[in-house]
Amino acid sequence: MTAAPASFEPSPALLEVRDLHVEFRTRDGVARAVNGVTYSVAEGETLAVLGESGSGKSVTAQAVMGILDMPPGRITGGEILFQGRDLLKLKEDERREVRGREMAMIFQDALSSLNPVLSVGEQLGEMFVVHRGMSRKDARNKAVELMDRVRIPAARERVGQYPHQFSGGMRQRIMIAMALALEPALIIADEPTTALDVTVQAQVMDLLAELQRELAMGLILITHDLGVVADVADRIAVMYAGRIVETAPVHDIYKAPAHPYTKGLLESIPRLDQKGQELYAIKGLPPNLLHIPPGCAFHPRCPLGRDMCRTDEPPLYDVPDGRGSACHFWQEAHHG
Amino acid sequence: MAEPARQTEAILEVRGLHKHYPLTQGIVFKKQVGAVRAVDGVDLDLAAGETLGIVGESGCGKSTLARLLVHLERPTAGVIRYKGEDITKLSGRALKAVRRNIQMVFQDPYTSLNPRMTVGDIIGEPYEIHPEVAPKGDRRQKVQDLLDVVGLNPEYINRYPHQFSGGQRQRIGIARGLALQPEIIVADEPVSALDVSVQAQVVNLLDKLQNEFGLSYVFIAHDLSIVRHISDRVGVMYLGRIVEIGKDAEIYDHPTHPYTQALLSAVPVPDPTAREHRERILLTGDVPSPANIPSGCRFRTRCWKARQRCAQEVPLLAVPAVFRDDRSPAAHDSACHFAEEKHVVPLEPGPVT
Amino acid sequence: MPEPLYEPDTAISAGGAGGATDFAVDEGETLEKRPDGGPQGAGPGKPRSLWSDAWRDLRRNPVFIVSGLVIAFLVVISLWPSLIASGNPLQCDLARAQEGSQPGHPFGFDGQGCDVYTRTVYGARTSVTVGVCATLGVALLGSVLGGLAGFFGGGWDALLSRITDVFFGIPVVLGGLVFLSVVTSTTVWPVIGFIVLLGWPQIARIARGSVITAKQNDYVQAARALGASNARMLLRHVTPNAVAPVIVVATIALGTYISLEATLSYLGVGLKPPTVSWGIDLSAASPYVRNAPHMLLWPAGALAVTVLAFIMLGDAVRDALDPKLR
Repeated sequence: MTAAPASFEPSPALLEVRDLHVEFRTRDGVARAVNGVTYSVAEGETLAVLGESGSGKSVTAQAVMGILDMPPGRITGGEILFQGRDLLKLKEDERREVRGREMAMIFQDALSSLNPVLSVGEQLGEMFVVHRGMSRKDARNKAVELMDRVRIPAARERVGQYPHQFSGGMRQRIMIAMALALEPALIIADEPTTALDVTVQAQVMDLLAELQRELAMGLILITHDLGVVADVADRIAVMYAGRIVETAPVHDIYKAPAHPYTKGLLESIPRLDQKGQELYAIKGLPPNLLHIPPGCAFHPRCPLGRDMCRTDEPPLYDVPDGRGSACHFWQEAHHG
Repeated sequence: MAEPARQTEAILEVRGLHKHYPLTQGIVFKKQVGAVRAVDGVDLDLAAGETLGIVGESGCGKSTLARLLVHLERPTAGVIRYKGEDITKLSGRALKAVRRNIQMVFQDPYTSLNPRMTVGDIIGEPYEIHPEVAPKGDRRQKVQDLLDVVGLNPEYINRYPHQFSGGQRQRIGIARGLALQPEIIVADEPVSALDVSVQAQVVNLLDKLQNEFGLSYVFIAHDLSIVRHISDRVGVMYLGRIVEIGKDAEIYDHPTHPYTQALLSAVPVPDPTAREHRERILLTGDVPSPANIPSGCRFRTRCWKARQRCAQEVPLLAVPAVFRDDRSPAAHDSACHFAEEKHVVPLEPGPVT
Repeated sequence: MPEPLYEPDTAISAGGAGGATDFAVDEGETLEKRPDGGPQGAGPGKPRSLWSDAWRDLRRNPVFIVSGLVIAFLVVISLWPSLIASGNPLQCDLARAQEGSQPGHPFGFDGQGCDVYTRTVYGARTSVTVGVCATLGVALLGSVLGGLAGFFGGGWDALLSRITDVFFGIPVVLGGLVFLSVVTSTTVWPVIGFIVLLGWPQIARIARGSVITAKQNDYVQAARALGASNARMLLRHVTPNAVAPVIVVATIALGTYISLEATLSYLGVGLKPPTVSWGIDLSAASPYVRNAPHMLLWPAGALAVTVLAFIMLGDAVRDALDPKLR
C-alpha cells in the first residue's frame, strides 16, 4: 500500500509509519503490542484505524505522537516519517517542537486530559504563550476565538470557567480547540466520542470532520466503532494483535471485506434497521499479547484457518483497487 | 394506561415510580435544598417471557431504574408489582423470597465479581444465601452445570476472576444471576464494556438462555442497535421518564417522539453510503440537570418543535390523539403534544447481495 | 498495558484445520470450554488468588527479604534474648562505667557500668512487645470502628469522623507527657494503652475509606441483590477487599510506634527502669555523648534499623498489594 516515493499520488503522504514494532515489558514477560505496522495519511485525508482493545491501535498512535511510556514501552523497530523526517531520530526537544505545533492529539477522556485547577481559557491560551510568545491578554482573546470556532456558546463569558463546569460534549470541544490551536498538519483522535452520548457524539464528530476539511489537516481516527468509521473516514486500516490485517477505501471495505476478521466484525454488529435472528459471533477470544499465536495471529478464531496459517505469517497481500489484506486466503474471504 | 391488548399477563408492573435523591447543605444541620430526580414517574409492564429494552443517554435514570427494579434502592414513590404484589415495601424474609425471582446482570465485568473469591464460590454464593434451593452436596455439580450453560469450561471452577477476559467474566456474572432460576433478569448495559467481537457472543448467550429458561428480560443499554436486536418492546427514557414505548418496529421504524427521532438519527450506521442520503437531526445543547428539570415537557429545551404549550403542560405517555383511531404502527405510547411520524432509520440493502 | 492479559488460547480448533468451516457459533463456545493451553499451559494457568500473587511478588522483592530477615531476627531475640546474650542486663558494675569495647563486652559499658550489648539485645524485647501489642490494639479498634462506620454510614459515621478529627488535633508528644506523667506503673502497658488511644483514629480513617471504596463495587451490590445479609456482605465481600491498606498502614505504623515508645521513654514519661528500653538507654547516654559515644550509638542504631525494617516491610507489602500494578 505504501508505494515508492515517486508515486502517482494526488497529495504526498503527510505521515508514513513503516514497519513499526513496539513492545512492553510486563511482570509476566514481553507483550508485543505493535508488530510491524505500516500506514500513511495524506493531507486532508481521514484514516480510520479500527481495532478492539489490545489491537495496538492506540499504542501506534502514542508512538507517533511520542507520548509512549518508555519504560515499560520500547520501540524496537521501524520508522515514523512526518513530512519526510524520521521522528524516531529526532532529539527530545525537537520532538516536543513537532508535537503540539505540527501534530496534536485528542483523547477519549476529556476530563482527565484537562487540568482541573486551571480555567479553560488559561489552558487554551497557554499554547499561544508557550509556542507563539503571545501576551496573556492576546492569548485569552485567541482562546475565546477558538471556543467560538468549536461552537461553544457564550465563549466570552465561559472562558474563565473550569473544566468541571462544562458538560462532557463541551469538554471534548475544548479538547478539539486545544488540538487545533496551532493549526497542526495532523490530528490524531483516539476514541474521541466513545465516552459521549449518541446525540452529543454526532455533534462532536460533525464538528471535527468539518474543521478537518476546512483546515485540510490529516486526521487519524482511532476507534472500535464501525458506525463512526463509516460516517467520516476516507480510508480504513483494521488492526488485530498489533498488525494491520486489512486496509481499503472505506466504501469498499463495507461492501466486500477481504479479511475474515473484518468480515466477522461487520457481521457481528446488530443493525438498527432490522431485527436479526442470531448474531454472527467471532469465536474465541482476542489474543494474549504475551503469547501471540504463531503464523497468522487470527488463525485460532478464523473460519478459513488451515495448516498454512499456523506456520506462515501472511504478508499484506495486494488486493485490487488499492487495498491490502493480510490473509493467505483473502480471495475466499473477499468473494466467498 | 391504555395498552393495546396484551397476549400474556404482566409479570412485572411499574406504576408512578420515582426516585429522588435529596440535595442537602450543611454538615451538622442538614437542610434539603433540592432533589436530583433520577427516576421521575416511570410506568411500564413486563410480560412473561418478553424482553423490554430501555434506551437512553447517560443521566436519563435508566441505571437507577434497574437498581429500583431489583430492590437495590427503595423508591421515593410508586409501586413495583411482581405478579400483582407490591414489592417496594417488602423486607426481611419476604424480600429475600422475591429476590430469588428477580436477578441482575451488571455492566462492568471487572467490578461485578469479587476478586478474592473463586468462580465456584461466586456462582455458588446464591445457594449459600438460599440454602433451600440446592442441598449442599449438589451445589458443586450445579455450579459446574451453570458454567457449562454459559459456555465456560466447568473445570474453571477453582479459578479467580482476574484469570478471565471481560467476556468470560460477563458469562460468570450471568451464571451467578441464573443460579436461583429467576423469572426476571434485569441487565444493566451488560455488553457495553466488551469488545465488539465478544459482544455478539454474550448477546447470543442471553438470547439462548431466554429460550431455554423462559426468562423475562429488562435490557438496559445506550446502544440502540443492540437493544433492537434483543428486545420485543422498547422504551425510550429521557430525564427520568419514559417518553416513548412500543414494539421494536413501532419505535425504530415509526417513531413519533422527537427525542426518539433525534436519537435514532444520530446513531452511526456501519454503512458509508448512508452518509449522503441520511437525514441527521442534530440536537442543540446538553441534557438539563436532573436536579433542575424543565417545566412542562422535559424535552422542550432541546426540541425543535417546542411551542408555548410544551412549557405549560406535561405531555402524558399515551397514544397521541392524532393516531388514536389509527391502526398503523405509529399508534403507540408517546409523550409528545405534537407527535408525528418520521422515518429516520435508513432502510439499507446491507452488505449481503 | 490497556487491557488485561488474556489466557493463552492458542491451539487451532480441530475443525478449522480441515478447510473452510462454516460460520458456526457453537465452535466459539466449545473453544472457550477447552482447558487453556493444553499440556504446555499447566504452569501459569493454575488457580491463583490475589494473595498468592502478592506473596509471589514479595518473595522476589529484595526489600522484603532484607526487612523480613531483620524482623525475624528481632522477633527471635525478643523471645529468647539469652540465645545471643549470656549476661544479665540489670547486673551492673559501677567500676566499669563508660568503659569502651573489650573482649566479652563488644559494645562496652554504660554510665552505670551495665553491658551495652546485653542491654541492647534485651531492649529489642521491649520495643517489639510495645510495637506488636500497640499495633494489634490499634488495628483491631481502628478497623472495627472505622469499618463499621464506613459500611453503615449515617449518624455514627459522622460522629466517628468528628471524633477522629479531635484525636488528630492532639499533639502526640505533649499528650504523652500529660497522660503518662500521672502513671506510676513500671510495666509496658500504660505506654501501649496510650499509643492505642492516640493511634486508632489513623487506622479507623484508612479502614473507613477502604470499606467505602470496597462496598461500592458491583459485587457487593450483586450480593445484596441475591439477598445476602449485612454480615455476609461485610465479612465475605467487603472485608477481604478492604484489609490490604489497613495491613500496609499498620505495618508502617508498627515502626513508628517503636520510635514513639523510645521518644516517650527518652523524655522520661514512657517506660521506667528497671525495664530495659532503647529509649531509656538513649536518655541515660546523652550526657556522656562526647566521652563515650558508644553508649548512645548502639541502642540508637538498633532503634533505627528496627524502625526502618518495619517501614520497608510496609512499603514492600504495599507494592505487592497495590491493585494498580496488577
